[in-house]
Amino acid sequence: MVLMVIGGLLTTLAFFMAFYTARVQGFGTIVSEVPLDTSFALAPPNLQPTDGIAYERPWLSQKIFYFHVPVAEASFLVFSIAALFAVLFLLRKDKKYDTRSRIAMETAFVFVVATMITGVLWTRASWGVWWDWEPRLTTYFIMMVLMVAYFVVRNSVGDEERAATYAAVFCIIAWVDAPLSFIITRLIPSSHPVVFRSGMDTTNLIPFIIAQLGMLMIGYAIYVLRATEEDMRERLDILKEGLEDY
Amino acid sequence: MASAKRQISSFEQFKAILRKDIVMELRTKEMLTSMGLYAVLVLIIYYVALSQAGQGFDVSRIAGGLLLLAIVFTSMLGLNRSLVHEQDQGCLEALLLSPVDRPVIFFGKAVGNLIFLILVQIFVVPLFYFIFLSGSGAQSGPWWMLALALLVGSIGIAGIGTFLATMSVNTTGKDFILAIMFIPLIFPLLLVIVAALTAVITADPGYVQTYWTMLGIALGYDAIMIAVAFALYEFILGA
Repeated sequence: MVLMVIGGLLTTLAFFMAFYTARVQGFGTIVSEVPLDTSFALAPPNLQPTDGIAYERPWLSQKIFYFHVPVAEASFLVFSIAALFAVLFLLRKDKKYDTRSRIAMETAFVFVVATMITGVLWTRASWGVWWDWEPRLTTYFIMMVLMVAYFVVRNSVGDEERAATYAAVFCIIAWVDAPLSFIITRLIPSSHPVVFRSGMDTTNLIPFIIAQLGMLMIGYAIYVLRATEEDMRERLDILKEGLEDY
Repeated sequence: MASAKRQISSFEQFKAILRKDIVMELRTKEMLTSMGLYAVLVLIIYYVALSQAGQGFDVSRIAGGLLLLAIVFTSMLGLNRSLVHEQDQGCLEALLLSPVDRPVIFFGKAVGNLIFLILVQIFVVPLFYFIFLSGSGAQSGPWWMLALALLVGSIGIAGIGTFLATMSVNTTGKDFILAIMFIPLIFPLLLVIVAALTAVITADPGYVQTYWTMLGIALGYDAIMIAVAFALYEFILGA
C-alpha cells in the first residue's frame, strides 16, 4: 500500500517535472537544433511541420513520453517475471508459483493496456492517425492478443492442475514474442521513435528515471496487493472447508 | 520373442507413429478430403471477395497473402482433427503408456501433419495459380522458390500447430482455443512468408535478395519455436 502511494507520487512528480523542467526533444517527429523551452508553449511556427497535420499543442503530446515509455518497459519486465514464475512452476510443480505467474500476468496486462491507450493517443497527436500497422505497434498488439489468449486458455480447461500447466507452457511460448516486440524497432526501419539511440538531455532523463521508478513501484504494489488477496482467499477456502465438518 | 528384447530406436518409434497416421488416413481418407474441400471453399470465397475489384486490379500484389491465408485456415482444420482423433479413440493415452519418448510423439505427429499439409498444397497451389494468376500475366520467379517458401511456412505451421493442438484438445471449445493461440503465435512467420511469396510472385527487380532475407528470418523463427515446443511438449502431455 505504501509502495502504491510512493509510486503514485513519483510518477506524478515526474509528470510535473516533465512539464516544467524538461526540454522538448523531437523524438522521431520534429528535429530541433536549438534546445527549446517547453511547458505548455506552442511550437514556434518555423518548427511546425509543413506537410501533414497542424498541431495545436505539439509539445503537449510529447509529454506522454514520460508515461508511455515507463509503463511499456514495466509491462515487458512484469511479463518476463510472469514467464520466470511459469518456468519455476513447470520445474517444481508448486501451486504457489502458478498463482504468482498468473498475478504477474494480470499486472502485465494492466500495463499493456495502459501502454496501448497512451500510445494510441500519442500516435493520433503526432502522426495524425489513431493506428498504424507499423512493426512496433503490430508486434505489441500481437503481444496483447497473446496475453488475452493466456487468460482464455486458462479458463477453458476444467481441471485445475492441467489449467495451470497449460497456462505456464503458453506463457513461456508467448513470452518469446515479447523480446521480438522490444528489439524490432532496432532491426527494421520503423516510424516508432527509439529514444535511447538518439540520447537524452539530463533535464529529460531525470523525470524519466523518476517516472520509471514510480511505475515499477506501482507494478510491484499491484502485484503484492493481488498476491495478498489470493493468499487470503486460499486461507478463507481452507477455513470454509473446516467449518463444513460441523 | 527375440524381437521384443531388441532395443527399439527412437527413429523406429518415430516411424511407427508416422506410419500409424498415414495408414489411418489411407483407410478413412477423412483429413485429406476435408482439408482439400475446405481449401477449395476458401478459394471460392476469395473469388467472391475479389469479384468487384475490376479489370485493372493487380491481383499479384496480394496473391501471396491470399495463398498463405488459405493454407493457414486449412491447416487449422487438419491440426484440430489430427489430435481430436487421438483423443476420441484413446490413442493418445495408449501412446503415453507405451515406452516412447515424449519428443518422439511430438515429431511423429508434427511430421504427419506436415505431410498432409504438403499433400493438400500440391493440390491447392496449382489450382490457386490457375484461378487467380494465370490470366494476370504476372512474371513470377521460378516455381521452386515459391515451393521452398511454402515449405518453410508449412514446417512452422505444422510444428507450432501440433504443439498447440495437443493443448487445445483438452479444453472446452477446441477449435476456437486453437485459433486464438495459433494465429498470434505464427503471426511473425506469416508476415515474412507473405513477404517472400509476394517477392517471388511479383518478381520486382532485386526480389531475390528480399526473398532470401525473409526466408532466413522465417527459418530462424521456425527453429526457435520448434525448439521451445520440443522442450515444453513433455509438460503438456504430462498434465
